[in-house]
Amino acid sequence: MNKNKSGIWSFFASVQLAIVLLSLIAFFALVGTLVPQREAAVAFAERISPALFSFLQKMQIFDLYHSVWFILLSGLLAVNLVICSLDRFPLAWRRFRMKHDPLNEDVFRDVPEENTFSARTDVGTAADAARFLLQSKYRAVERADGPDGVRLCSEKGRFALFGVYIVHASILVLIAGAILGSVFGVEGYVHIPEGETAEAISLRSGNAPLPLPFSVRCDKFTVELYESGMPKTFQSDLTFLRDGRPVRTAKLLVNHPVEFEGFRFYQSSYGAAPGGKATLALSREGGARDIMNVSAGYTFALPGKDGMFQVLRVEENLMSMGPAVKVVVRSENEEATFWVFQQIERIREMNPDAIRQVPMFNPGLFRPYTFALLGLEEKYYTGLQVNRDPGTPVVAASALLLIGGLMLILFSYARVIWIRVVPSGNHVHVAMAGRSYKNQPGLQKEMQYLLAELKDHLEKRQ
Amino acid sequence: MIHTTILSWVTFIYFAAFVFYLFRMMLGREFWGKAATGATLAGLAAQSVALVLRWRASYDLGFGHAPLSNFYESLIFFAWTIVLLYLLMEWRLKNRSIGVFVLPVAFLIMAYASIAPGMNQRIEPLIPALQSNWLTSHVLTCFMGYAAFTVAFALGGMYFVKKTAGERPAVFIRLMPSEFHIDELMYSCTALGFIFLTLGIVTGSVWAHYAWGSYWSWDPKETWSLITWLVYAVMLHARLVRGWRGRRMAVMAMVGFGCMLFTYLGVNLLPSLHSYMT
Repeated sequence: MNKNKSGIWSFFASVQLAIVLLSLIAFFALVGTLVPQREAAVAFAERISPALFSFLQKMQIFDLYHSVWFILLSGLLAVNLVICSLDRFPLAWRRFRMKHDPLNEDVFRDVPEENTFSARTDVGTAADAARFLLQSKYRAVERADGPDGVRLCSEKGRFALFGVYIVHASILVLIAGAILGSVFGVEGYVHIPEGETAEAISLRSGNAPLPLPFSVRCDKFTVELYESGMPKTFQSDLTFLRDGRPVRTAKLLVNHPVEFEGFRFYQSSYGAAPGGKATLALSREGGARDIMNVSAGYTFALPGKDGMFQVLRVEENLMSMGPAVKVVVRSENEEATFWVFQQIERIREMNPDAIRQVPMFNPGLFRPYTFALLGLEEKYYTGLQVNRDPGTPVVAASALLLIGGLMLILFSYARVIWIRVVPSGNHVHVAMAGRSYKNQPGLQKEMQYLLAELKDHLEKRQ
Repeated sequence: MIHTTILSWVTFIYFAAFVFYLFRMMLGREFWGKAATGATLAGLAAQSVALVLRWRASYDLGFGHAPLSNFYESLIFFAWTIVLLYLLMEWRLKNRSIGVFVLPVAFLIMAYASIAPGMNQRIEPLIPALQSNWLTSHVLTCFMGYAAFTVAFALGGMYFVKKTAGERPAVFIRLMPSEFHIDELMYSCTALGFIFLTLGIVTGSVWAHYAWGSYWSWDPKETWSLITWLVYAVMLHARLVRGWRGRRMAVMAMVGFGCMLFTYLGVNLLPSLHSYMT
């Protein structure tokens, strides 16, 4: 690495820049949750002056998360991550490769008094005990026996040195995955009425519809409710067709997307499709009762040939009073428009005067005929979200890297411990030194613990 | 229902524990400290039983889901994780002086869950979007993170109390860990919370990928969780690389806690896919 770092290099390698960028991204994200974004901005536009709105729109305030500002900040953060990692990695690599020498005397130069003790034993016993203690907590204890005593050296957590680079790499992979998704991904939706087939999807970006390389048919859409009326399941029975021939059928549920040829289908909404059928019974006072299947727009002649009636609307649930059909009946000198409810008896029970108060609720408004709604056969459309995102596996990989790297940084420490045992008369003198690149207090605590254990052990042996 | 009754008792037990911690702090008698720890333990045990009973009750009703599905259940679980984390810390540190800062938070959350108007305490079946195996892991990890950040916040408060004490501090201030140790603890809690928040965001993304068709859709709750994550990321960088300690860390713990609280509660004021307040 270039030792005479230029100004630009050290600017991009600095943690201050990272802190400023992270704070700015947080700030922009915050603004984006307060200012209406995308579709919601239309309603907001009516409350502010057109000049201000067009200025804010030019500044891309209404699509902040895809704005040039956000891209710029992410780009700067990416550069910052790369440069600061390149700047520091060689040092981490040297530390990783470093061989810890048990005969390194430098580490014992400034050992504080509290990290030493004397015990009445011989060097061999003390060294063996120290080695045993270190082995229980550290890997690879190295030992060097010399004429003036024994030196031990052990270490752990070397890989923790890489944690920070793994996390930084994971953020870069995340950004790459997001770019991959936004460049090559497709985000669309399609509404398919039951029984019909879709060959193209509409795109969220609002461009022309995207033709699919296959077609999808919605065979059936089902809504199941709990007793309380809350929705329990939404299910679409789909058939995927290729050249008009069914290739695969699938049940699509919320939380259980279906993938077909790289496109993922999600159950996202539903609604009533035009064309629902109602079963109407029509009876004439003292006459026969006709039963017919109708849907909105149908026109029939009355059984007595004294007029026509037309179905205007078919409603699944009108004003929370259940299924209803709106009918207009016309004869030469009369015209009546009214609703026919399926649960007319229940409405009468709850409010016996309802029909007198609201003539439009009277199914016998056109005498001498009485209509009754026997049932509705609802027709639904299913609303599907259709996505193709080649960036998703990349983003998933970045998440794994991120979590692994964070664990290394926050819960693992690179640590080296040296122990020196030298004889002095009929005693031995034990000194301990350590090195940690992070978490000095933890290291000191650990050394105090090791010293106490060792001292305790040696005193018990006497 | 029995579990609701137990939970309202737990609220009072936590309050009693708080009062005992307060007595210990003011009188300096360890008897009160032991009483406080005992009460906290009893409260946590009772709350765990209530959670299990509520879980079982949901199976008896035929829904069968972990008690993590609405605002009431999330508050109860939040208080539970805070108390659990605190007791673990008390046990590891052999120091009871943090309790007086943490227990009132748990008590207030429980009290709010019990008496807030319009709080729906019923066990309800799950709407289709919530019927996922990711529900439990997502809520679990998020609230572990929230709890750790809450304890870090309480430690931040403690730091300022200790810092503003004069030359001859009262007994309770001398009983507190040193400023150095408060700072270390604050860092440990923040690190733990950061890991769990990361896990929470990741599990949430995976779930969103299956439920909504996109791992990230800039929903206000997602965005605020990112803001919280960034604030704590700044805090950790400032400490690990720039060497920030003490007062600055305490301030950051408070800012982060504010963001976390907004992620949890404030977002319900904004239109969101995460609106489960009712």
